[in-house]
Amino acid sequence: MNEYPIKVVVGKPGLDGHDRGAKVIARALVEAGMEVVYLGLRQTPESIVAAAVEEDADVIGLSVLSGAHMTQFRRVHELMEKEGIGGRLLTGGGIIPTKDQEALSKIGVGKLFGPGDEPQEIIDYIRTEVQARRTHEAM
Amino acid sequence: MTAKSPRVKTSGNEAEAGAIPSSLWSAFFEGSRRACARLITRVENEPGLVPVVRDALASRIGRAIRIGITGPPGVGKSTLTAALAQGLANGGRRVGVIAVDPSSPFTGGAFMGDRIRMDGLVGDKRIYIRSLASREGHGGLAPTTPYVADVIEGFGMDRILIETVGVGQAEIDVLRCADLVILVLQPGTGDAIQTMKAGIIEAADIIVVNKADQPGVDSVIQSLRFLFSLGGPLPIKGNPHAPQNTRVAPPILSTSALQAQGIEELVAEVEKQATSLIESGRHREMRRARLETEIRSAIQEYLWQSYEKLTAADETIRQKAGELVLSGESPYPFIRDLQGKATISLPPGR
Amino acid sequence: MAHKIQEPQHRTAPFRDAEFTTISGRPVELLYTEADLDGQKIEQYPGDYPYTRGVHPTMYRGKLWTMRLFAGMGNAAQTNERFKFLLSKGQTGLSTAFDNPTLYGWDSDDPISEGEVGKTGVAVDTMADMERLFQDIPLDKVSTSMTINAPAAWVFAMFLANAEKQGIGLEKLRGTIQNDILKEYIAQKEWIFPPEPHIRLITDMFAFCADHVPQWNSISISGYHIREAGATAAQELAFTLQDGFTYVEHAIEAGMDVDDFAPRLSFFFNSHLDFFEEIAKLRAARRIWARHMREKYGAKNPKSWLCRFHVQTAGCSLTAQQPEVNIVRTALEALAGVLGGCQSLHTNSMDEALALPSDKAAEIALRTQQVIAYESGVPNVADPLGGSYFVEKLTSEIEADAEKYFEQIEALGGMVKAIERGFPQQEITRAAYEYQRALSEKRKIMVGVNDFANEHEKLEIPILEIDEAVEPDQIAALKKIKESRDNLAVSRCLEELQKAARTKENLMPHLLDCARCYTSIGEVSHALIKVFGEYREQAFF
Repeated sequence: MNEYPIKVVVGKPGLDGHDRGAKVIARALVEAGMEVVYLGLRQTPESIVAAAVEEDADVIGLSVLSGAHMTQFRRVHELMEKEGIGGRLLTGGGIIPTKDQEALSKIGVGKLFGPGDEPQEIIDYIRTEVQARRTHEAM
Repeated sequence: MTAKSPRVKTSGNEAEAGAIPSSLWSAFFEGSRRACARLITRVENEPGLVPVVRDALASRIGRAIRIGITGPPGVGKSTLTAALAQGLANGGRRVGVIAVDPSSPFTGGAFMGDRIRMDGLVGDKRIYIRSLASREGHGGLAPTTPYVADVIEGFGMDRILIETVGVGQAEIDVLRCADLVILVLQPGTGDAIQTMKAGIIEAADIIVVNKADQPGVDSVIQSLRFLFSLGGPLPIKGNPHAPQNTRVAPPILSTSALQAQGIEELVAEVEKQATSLIESGRHREMRRARLETEIRSAIQEYLWQSYEKLTAADETIRQKAGELVLSGESPYPFIRDLQGKATISLPPGR
Repeated sequence: MAHKIQEPQHRTAPFRDAEFTTISGRPVELLYTEADLDGQKIEQYPGDYPYTRGVHPTMYRGKLWTMRLFAGMGNAAQTNERFKFLLSKGQTGLSTAFDNPTLYGWDSDDPISEGEVGKTGVAVDTMADMERLFQDIPLDKVSTSMTINAPAAWVFAMFLANAEKQGIGLEKLRGTIQNDILKEYIAQKEWIFPPEPHIRLITDMFAFCADHVPQWNSISISGYHIREAGATAAQELAFTLQDGFTYVEHAIEAGMDVDDFAPRLSFFFNSHLDFFEEIAKLRAARRIWARHMREKYGAKNPKSWLCRFHVQTAGCSLTAQQPEVNIVRTALEALAGVLGGCQSLHTNSMDEALALPSDKAAEIALRTQQVIAYESGVPNVADPLGGSYFVEKLTSEIEADAEKYFEQIEALGGMVKAIERGFPQQEITRAAYEYQRALSEKRKIMVGVNDFANEHEKLEIPILEIDEAVEPDQIAALKKIKESRDNLAVSRCLEELQKAARTKENLMPHLLDCARCYTSIGEVSHALIKVFGEYREQAFF
């Protein structure tokens, strides 16, 4: 069941209107053959996870440039566990210091990308991760 | 009557589809949203599961009213759908929303942005929203849309809103799986009405002129009235929504979904028509016609699959058609030849 | 009649394998000659209509640009400290960055503010924060800029109420409030209400400032964020000026005389990395604005014709990789801003792609401006690039591109309609994606990112961290104010405000009343939402 289109929910949690990155990445994912549900601005962790549940998304991608990444990623991750989609991939990007990336990685958040990272890198990462997770889920 | 689309191979490859684990079914019947979501994905990805799913849900479906929402791009369908869903839910309904967006024919990817406008509904337990990529469907819906609607109805929703991609032309699919069709227009779409795909305007049960806070509402309504005063567009044969010689204009409502104006009236009109559909027996008749189509289409598909398995005709037909185009010969000698390769035999005892 | 060099050898020699376009994708020629001017007369004097060569006859010999670094982090006390640090290092004006909740008009204790208080700017909930923010800073001597838009009117009211309390006459205040809501819908996405009530608040501020705060720039019409969202230079210019025209039209419609408010309109442009294109863009801005103000809107006062602007170097050009290299990028961009004739300048800090500026990084950014001002010799001559075949040609090309956009927007029924239909948003999104593709395909190079990258790079500069205690402390302080202030007065002021909002009355006096009794920013927002409604995102791709 690994060949079906990958479904990604993309959202911007919190108060941060900088959506250039989210839009560019969303578009790159679509061009890579993924089905992208774009939630837009001013999302809460609750609204993002609720949407991901209903959409049965393989991936949640968050874009956070507001400095609130620790709060937002942590909360989304908790809610994913609570709603039974903890096995799905949580990734994203923004201006996130390495130290914080490492802390988030420890609790199970996926790789986080920053300014200058190539869309192709993100696409490859998502593909590999989803492949592995789908295989795992099917077992 | 043959069903051209939505068409999915619902038989033949049944055995190839992975089984649905019983744990998923029990979670689904216990009301788990996550299970419902998972089941929709399975149906979307593996249409061969449709028969199993229909078996399991048979007793739970057939009562919901499915409402198609269609219209040109940019008229505010998503915002209106959201407002309507909320209104119906406030009236005590459980509402499913299926928002279809086009898949790129080149990459297979799809950008689905309808949820942006449905923000206010997320987390509302009376409402279930699902975005669907149209995948190989070309008529404004994904081929599996009716079956996704089945799953959502089986999950307990009694009003199902189906928002089409709105590519402006081929929106005919929605007629085949909706009980009620709402056509959404906006000020300034007067010209578009004239050129709109035949079958949509006359099939609409309700016409909504959205963005009524913008100037030009009256002129759209006038264009519509004029169109219907001429006797209306010609009814399309075989279209259950086409008015039967009566040619009465459907109700035309104006709304501003962004400013929540006219929504109460729209909800009331939808409920009024839903009740009338059920009480007049028309809903049953539509269901019957669709079931008939489904059965015929399943049998056709079965026969084709069996035939194809024996003859590998698919590829031969593709090649031959190419040759015929060049040679200019009649295709019938080839067709007779193909027909000759098959005999129908029934199991003993019939 | 001038003509191109005959049979030039350089036209036949092979070029290296590269794309010869500007950062906006505009093709450029190898060489520009007199023929490119197409007989166009080069303007002679800065300070003369249409001001392509500058708004002032003596330019930087008369007065250097104001060196103003955008600053704000944590709470008011921390930002006040940064302000004083920058002033002590020779900065000549202040520029305030607010945190996200403030920019959106929410209180620090609003659930949606969680995790964001003080993170990307200073948190301001009530006038108490304003008092602390500008403590010991002579507001009648230092000009102050505030980057705020959706709740600009009530944040400005807090600022004015604070000045009043300090005993400073409003007529003495100098500075700028951004107050440009149209670009929020286009690019930055920090709005509260639908466009019409927001524009009404803006025209209220125009009128109030004209009467009471005459030295204050009541708006800074901004292209900066449009550019950061991915626009090309021509898009930035066109959409910004068109926003400006829209405000002018609304104010005229509201019954004001164009010469009463136009002299206080100011602009804010980005300075990106493509050196000459940016200079040309800034020159074109002055020419277009002057012509439209004089010919289309009938302004008679020459001050109404002037496109005076602030420039900020491009945040989006900075990289997280090898951040020290950002100092060089910023220096080039700042030089373009100066050669383009800016009135004030912000230089980004090298750590911008990583965090808010550290003291060290902010100081280097300021020093960069000082090097240009005092060492490079550049400010000695007004518009030194005027008359360059290339720069003059580019100026006219960008001007023509902008005029094309004006026509398209006109055809859509004006800027508000065009925004509702997503026209500028879609143009920008497309340009952003194009640029990303050019980077992916290495047609455009970012040093240290898609070429010349270091493997296993280690960050060697300090990173500013916002103390996690800022948020709870700010919330506690707000709670204390809400308990100790005259709450009866607050609800009375809010009621009066709502009443006035339903009429055409100028809201500024009511907002001042609210500020004086420590009504919070979120309380005002919620009260006005009840009257004006809330705007929802319309995403366009």
